[in-house]
Amino acid sequence: MSDKPAVCIQIKDDLLAVAMGEATPSAVRRVERHLAACAPCRREFQEYRAVDNAVTTLREDPLPSGRLAQARERLETRLADLWRRLLTYRIFPSPLGHILIARSELGISLVEYLERGTSLRASRLSHEPGVEIVGDGGELEAPSRELLEYLDGRRKHLEWPLDLRLARSDFQRTVLQATAALPYGAVIPYAGIAQEVGRAAAVRAVAQALRWNPLPIVIPCHRVIGTSGALTGYAGGKVGLKQRLLSLEGVPTTKRAGVLGITPQAMYILYPGEQEYCLPTCPSFSTHRPAPLTRFASRESAEAAGFAPCTTCRPDLHPISR
Amino acid sequence: MSAEAFEAVVTTHHAEIFRYLRRVIGRGDDADDLSQETFLRAYRAYRSLPRDANVRAWLFSIATNLAKNHFRSETRRRRAYGEVRASTREAVDSAPEAVLVSRETGALVEGIVGRLPLKQRLAFTQRKIHGLDYEAIGRSLGCSAESARAHVFQALRKIRQGLDGHGLLPEESQP
Repeated sequence: MSDKPAVCIQIKDDLLAVAMGEATPSAVRRVERHLAACAPCRREFQEYRAVDNAVTTLREDPLPSGRLAQARERLETRLADLWRRLLTYRIFPSPLGHILIARSELGISLVEYLERGTSLRASRLSHEPGVEIVGDGGELEAPSRELLEYLDGRRKHLEWPLDLRLARSDFQRTVLQATAALPYGAVIPYAGIAQEVGRAAAVRAVAQALRWNPLPIVIPCHRVIGTSGALTGYAGGKVGLKQRLLSLEGVPTTKRAGVLGITPQAMYILYPGEQEYCLPTCPSFSTHRPAPLTRFASRESAEAAGFAPCTTCRPDLHPISR
Repeated sequence: MSAEAFEAVVTTHHAEIFRYLRRVIGRGDDADDLSQETFLRAYRAYRSLPRDANVRAWLFSIATNLAKNHFRSETRRRRAYGEVRASTREAVDSAPEAVLVSRETGALVEGIVGRLPLKQRLAFTQRKIHGLDYEAIGRSLGCSAESARAHVFQALRKIRQGLDGHGLLPEESQP
């Protein structure tokens, strides 16, 4: 190469670019002028054209027949597996502390109060077996905004598709599904949920199932209370959070003998299976057998849930005054 | 993104990515594994991709990174080159007589490409076989478009030198 004239060395990049069809018009003109006068470069140019031509044979399909279809099939299997296991998550600050939301392809699968930090390491997801976790690319922006609106009292419903696969058992899933149906502004004892799922004696198991609710707030386990009316066991002892969530819905609470509970005399009641809600002093109510009652914070919440005022005690004419 | 939407990405690009990896890796099984890994990684990250992103160039970039990692081990690299040459010889041996001459040059080129330094080989294959632009190639290799172009040109020079006139020009045109 060293014995090449300087002009040939200067033009070598342009020459190659022209041979590959990648040169600017001015470079093309320059190279054409040079080639007209320089036989060795003309030959080099022709050789590059021939190289370019030979390279086209490399474009032939390098795969033996059938390999592609087999590879695609294997990929589909692995993608289907990943599709089942992949969760995306987002962590954001809220009035109740940092919250993590995670979703799968099926729906929201986790709402978690982060107590031990503000990163993924503080979440149960970091040691959840069988899942793959990736950061959210924006699809959790709307759910987290809606959750903040809910906590701010500007929204009463979170209408998200839910994925209950992080539940620990089929029984827990059944309990969570029953709890998900509890209306805004209502509370019910654990015994009521136990009855609802057809396991009236399994009150303690229901309480345990709700203690490990993977979707607090959106599955409103805070609306499930002790038979005495006490706000027992929320998300592992966060009774204060339970009270805040219930207060948001207008549920009156009081502290008696150091125990936080609802104020039953200030709430409307609904007997299981009835279509009419009553005042707590309704005369017809006393004739009923004892049963887990649903209590409503207000007439609005009872009526929004589809119940009518009792025609005997007439809560519509004599509303509870607080 | 939904599984259905990603399915369209797989349908459109899987064959090309697999072929690209087969060309740069040589070994069919490894190329298959890496093309699967390319799409699994893509699936995990797809939701973070800007809407107007060039999905094809992005997939090439993931595949290229996996190929680079694959070749970190020099032993594996040598073994793979051996396989490229072996598979090339088989293809030439089994080809019909009429196409042997052009195939032979093609096989020589393939052999030279197989011995190119990795970045040149990756850049050359993306540009000359798959037709990606230098910007995309540069992004996949972690260098500028100008450097990507320099890698491709250097590869072409080596191919020309490696052929040493063989099969490039008819005898009568030689001086």
